[in-house]
Amino acid sequence: MTNKEKYKQAFSVLQPSGKISLEEERMMIMKKKTRFQIAATAAAVCLAFASGGGIVYAADLGGVQRKIQLWVQGDQTDADIVYNANGSYDLWYENEDGTLEDLHGGGVAIEDDGTERPLTEAELMDHLQQPTVDYKEDGSIWVYYYDQKTDITDQFKDGVCYVLVSNGEKDLYMTVLYEGGWCTSPHKYESPDSFR
Amino acid sequence: MRLPMQELFEKYQGNLYAAAFNVCKNAEDAEDVVQDTFIQYYSLKKEFESEQHIRAWLLRVTINKAKNMNRTFWRRNKQSLEDYMETLSFETPESGELFEAAMNLPEKYRIVIHLFYYEDYSIHEIAGILKLSESNVKVRLSRGRSLLKEKLQEEWENDE
Repeated sequence: MTNKEKYKQAFSVLQPSGKISLEEERMMIMKKKTRFQIAATAAAVCLAFASGGGIVYAADLGGVQRKIQLWVQGDQTDADIVYNANGSYDLWYENEDGTLEDLHGGGVAIEDDGTERPLTEAELMDHLQQPTVDYKEDGSIWVYYYDQKTDITDQFKDGVCYVLVSNGEKDLYMTVLYEGGWCTSPHKYESPDSFR
Repeated sequence: MRLPMQELFEKYQGNLYAAAFNVCKNAEDAEDVVQDTFIQYYSLKKEFESEQHIRAWLLRVTINKAKNMNRTFWRRNKQSLEDYMETLSFETPESGELFEAAMNLPEKYRIVIHLFYYEDYSIHEIAGILKLSESNVKVRLSRGRSLLKEKLQEEWENDE
């Protein structure tokens, strides 16, 4: 037997249990369920990123759909967004290869007196326009902000990288922890300890 | 072109499940990934060039979703790989050993090995599906083969 034949024989034992369904109604229910799970996951990530900023993000669903232009890894992309009154959003756009990308998140802002309120649409949009950090499969690490793409792979010292990004109008001082999140400030580089 | 969901399901459900399992190492997570991939095909009104284009798209989406599944805290992981393997009926003990050796490869080698040996994709096609350079795919394939050879000895041929 060739290696391919051996490999196929070994993996031919893998068979799904039969729970996967193509029934339309069930697919739609599962689509909502899947979105909820993704939203909750995204929220946990947001929480980690936002812990130094005074805004706590939580997940929820529910709004009015409109088209926006979103910067995705340095490229301007048309996206659909639904902003929900409870401070959450569902957003999706099509990748170059035709796959659909979903983003979900949202949450509440904590006021100085400790009371909570849903994030406003403007606050959510501001959140979506924040820089992002992407860890590539080839090991390189990139920061994306509007049309900027910055390779920060070699800029880490002791697991921390400081990088200044700008959209032409506003500068942002960015502190990135290797695989540990990041925070930004318009005034100065935040200490890693403030959000570690 | 688009093909009916039922037709795609019958043809590719098993392949997508194997690819998802290859990444997730967990049966329930792999089924969730395959279900979600079909939901995405159902939701996305994309036109494809050919059936091969659809197949490659389905595999790419499945692999990406499986990788995302690995990064979330929603992973159920109710059953370990070892426990799951005990429920499988391998044709020969050697098949079980190959399955275990392949599943214990690092993920980046594992999926390249799977697409080459199970899906019969070329290096060029794997590079397209995984969005990697061909040289990167070659390196991963070569390292994956070396690790399999090291583990399986004479049960794995040198086929560089």
